[in-house]
Amino acid sequence: MSEFPASANPANANPVNRSPVTGPGRRPRRLLPLAALTVAAGLALSGCGQGLLDKGGKAEDKSSPIVLGMLVPRSGGEAAIGPYMTNAAQLAVDEINAKGGVLGRKLELRPEDDACDPKTATAAANKLVSSGVHVSVGGYCSGATLPTLPVFGKANVPMIIPAANSQELVDQRQKHVFLINGTGTQQTDAAVAFMTKKGAKNVAVMHDNTSYSKDIAVQTGKDLAEPGGPEQAILEAVTAKESDYGANVTNVMAKKPDFIYWTGYFQEGGLLIRQFRQAGYKGPIMVADGSVSPKLIEIAGKADAEGVYATMTQTPDTLQGADAWKTAYKSKFGSDPGPYSNQSYDAVRLAAEAIGKAGGTDGAKVIAALEAIDGFQMFSGPLKFTPEHTLTKGGFQILSVKGGAFALEDALA
Amino acid sequence: MSQLIWNGLFVGAFYSLVALGYSMVYGIIKLLNFAHGDLYMLGAFAGFAMLGAAGGVFGSMTLLPLLVVLVLTMAATGLAGVALERVAYRPLRGAPRLSLLITAVGASFALEYGMHLVAGADPRVYPVRLGGTTLDLLGARVTVQQLVLVLIAVALMIVLNVLVTRSREGRAMRAIALDPRAARLMGIDVDAVISRAFFLGSALAGAAGVMAGAYYGKIDFLMGFLIGLKAFTAAVIGGIGNIPGTMLGGLLLGLLESFGTYWLGGEWRDVFAFGVLILFLTVRPTGLLGERVTERV
Amino acid sequence: MSAPGTGGASGLDRVSGFARGLFDSRWPGPVLLLAALLGPFVNATPYALNLMTTTAISVMLAVGLNIVVGYCGLLDLGYAAFFAVGAYTSGVLATRFDWPLLATVPVVLVATVIAGIVIGGPTLRLRSDYLAIVTLGFGEIIRITANNLDVTGGPSGIHGIPGLFGGEDKVVFYYATVVIVALAVIGAARLGRSRIGRAWRFVREDEDAAAAMGVSPYRVKLAAYIAGAVWGGLAGVLFGAHLSAVSPGSFRFLDSALILMAVVLGGMGSNPGVVLGAIVLAVLPEALRDLVDWQYFVFGVLLILVMLVRPQGLWPARSRETPQDAARAVRPEVRA
Repeated sequence: MSEFPASANPANANPVNRSPVTGPGRRPRRLLPLAALTVAAGLALSGCGQGLLDKGGKAEDKSSPIVLGMLVPRSGGEAAIGPYMTNAAQLAVDEINAKGGVLGRKLELRPEDDACDPKTATAAANKLVSSGVHVSVGGYCSGATLPTLPVFGKANVPMIIPAANSQELVDQRQKHVFLINGTGTQQTDAAVAFMTKKGAKNVAVMHDNTSYSKDIAVQTGKDLAEPGGPEQAILEAVTAKESDYGANVTNVMAKKPDFIYWTGYFQEGGLLIRQFRQAGYKGPIMVADGSVSPKLIEIAGKADAEGVYATMTQTPDTLQGADAWKTAYKSKFGSDPGPYSNQSYDAVRLAAEAIGKAGGTDGAKVIAALEAIDGFQMFSGPLKFTPEHTLTKGGFQILSVKGGAFALEDALA
Repeated sequence: MSQLIWNGLFVGAFYSLVALGYSMVYGIIKLLNFAHGDLYMLGAFAGFAMLGAAGGVFGSMTLLPLLVVLVLTMAATGLAGVALERVAYRPLRGAPRLSLLITAVGASFALEYGMHLVAGADPRVYPVRLGGTTLDLLGARVTVQQLVLVLIAVALMIVLNVLVTRSREGRAMRAIALDPRAARLMGIDVDAVISRAFFLGSALAGAAGVMAGAYYGKIDFLMGFLIGLKAFTAAVIGGIGNIPGTMLGGLLLGLLESFGTYWLGGEWRDVFAFGVLILFLTVRPTGLLGERVTERV
Repeated sequence: MSAPGTGGASGLDRVSGFARGLFDSRWPGPVLLLAALLGPFVNATPYALNLMTTTAISVMLAVGLNIVVGYCGLLDLGYAAFFAVGAYTSGVLATRFDWPLLATVPVVLVATVIAGIVIGGPTLRLRSDYLAIVTLGFGEIIRITANNLDVTGGPSGIHGIPGLFGGEDKVVFYYATVVIVALAVIGAARLGRSRIGRAWRFVREDEDAAAAMGVSPYRVKLAAYIAGAVWGGLAGVLFGAHLSAVSPGSFRFLDSALILMAVVLGGMGSNPGVVLGAIVLAVLPEALRDLVDWQYFVFGVLLILVMLVRPQGLWPARSRETPQDAARAVRPEVRA
């Protein structure tokens, strides 16, 4: 068999004696339609009348809907998360519209796929900005959200980020960025407090090498390194999207931990719980908020998941009076709310509140209104932003799996 | 130590099973079938659907229905592989080899996101779970189910090897791998044989999919991507196109990963595995059992 | 659309001397460049600008990979590694040490040349399939290393990379990109026709014959590798400046595969084809974006259909094939 280079292009058998000119008109006839098609497609895609020379600003139509843009992953490895977030946001939009909208205008949600990929996210953010969104209420993967900050910033679009919470987002100190998920530090504080309370001595911290997860894991390690309290036995990273974590489990078990903290997502979390239990680990396992989902319990199996702890902001499950919300969600979408559903729902409500307070959709005014908000009721409790635009209180609590569902274990008050 | 070896062998068995299909197809028509990992995914979902449909029929027995589902799934994914070859690969058999790469990636996208449309992005959980009764085997923690799965995998591989080395069909495959034109001249129906090779390879991937689903429990539409990549790696380590070599390659990759995790930690595992692979290939450029081919005279 | 297809061609033929040497045939290069330059006058929304800029960058990547795969016939499944080396080198220097981005270019060149030698050096003697897996492995090694190290910002990567000249307008950046990419395309085309370019094709067609004629296949291949690495690295600088952020998520195996697909889809070894392939692969997913869940399914099906219709690529390299070659390339039952 001939190998790749030779068989790759048998047409080019005589490259040495090639002359630089083809017969006139022979190839071009084939090419021009293609080129024309490409250009035409480009034009059709972009629409006309928005060129460099048309500088006239569009006058805001006061009766048109207020548009909320939302970047979430809907393809790629994190595609499972997207619907949980957009559904909840849509629920909030519908509720607000049913009550007459904001400032007499309807709300409209415009979700776009960011695939958790910086390039796709930037394209999507630019698309949203170009289509004139007023506030962004998306952002799940920190790595994909970071490059969108300048895009929205330049267009003066305030961002209320429901899920992404890595420290880099905070460190940028961008005026238009608001985080309504608890930050990594707030979560690790709660986690370490609970470990100490449980009398853990030797804690294994595990992450999946994504920015969200590694952030929390490394921060937990720092907290554990401080004198007093439990020690860190091992910091173990797994590769997301695999099935067999036997090698990692063996690594961790060799350090004989008496407490395991998993900071990644529920898919791998469920598998890890199961594989740790199969390997004979009897001690407590705790997961971070990305793992809090009924799917975690399903994947791990009810028996193995029983008693697993979780660090989590308040959820519909742990809040009194949230049953109505859950029912509304389920009747509308046919499934239970999932990770970041409540934050997404709150992001929309918060956006509506701020636009209402600002009396319009002007970016600077909405930002000022967001900064001024005090005591707005959200799932995570009454809201007031810190100067860094994060939640004053993370509101993290400890949940545990009881009878096949997450329930409040310790409010850490 | 023995635990590390066992972990590596167990994971490696899955790699081998998937890699075999890769290697067979590659050996015969020199195609990097990037959609092969997605047949593994298809197998997992097919098994899931059948188990769901069978529902309470089997009652509390788990192993017997699983075996039935395994066989049915192998048939289903085998046919899917044949269809894939018919639609996306056969029409291009005379084209530059890399054109097939495009249709393979296209088929991979179509399968993955087709399943996304059908089953959604949320992971599904198998209705039947192989729980574990653990045994202590030379210091390693081994479950009976793991042993059964490895035995099934080994049995399938042996059957395949016998098929390829001993049967008429296998001879025809090897003949086509050597020289398709001469094979045709000798009266071999090349298209039919290639179809059958796709059937076998895809059936093995499907079997691996069901086994993974039943053992690990979680399946999702992208589950085939990573294992496809690993299977390709395993096939190359072993000497691509060589069936015993591919089996060894899968096991070796599993071991490399297991020891890499142990020595360097999980985040450096793949760097270790690929690093060793590259060093190995520079020393032995045709893989473990690959023959040294004189490249063109 | 059919009018320019027939009438325009002859009109353009009349000015054929005008840009001979830009591409294999004379006019598509200037036309495309003109289209790229006029683009913002048609649509300058951030979305259109962003799409045009990323398209230009993928053109540069595809042209660079074409040197390796198309000219020299080396299958590279890890081209994103060079892209990553360029993006990270300039990004780290620009953000951690506050270098202006243009000043990082010489360092990027050195880094990519070294990367080309390190990756190519020990592996280029391998058979092509093994070369494929080795390049794949290197691609993964680079990505995972970037993901694990602190200096590269770990999984969330580097952010806050200034523009090419320090925070210029997106329109300015787009034009700068177009100019650089155009130069890169012309440079690659010229390389392809130079002495070394002929050596590449020679080695691709028959290594042993090339060696017998006094061409060292190893050195020639290494040169192709290094050239490809430099193109990829410079594209990486543009990429970082464009997104203002670099993270490991942009350099997965899938990204390498997409660049390779641009090369194959367009027609290996054909510069205009590869440019076209890159444009199609960059624009198509965005054009299908509104299909939401159907997006990638349709994308996959379209890829298969395109290849079935044009198995040699959209715009294959000029063929000098003899009837015998043609008979060898197309098997009888396929023609029937």
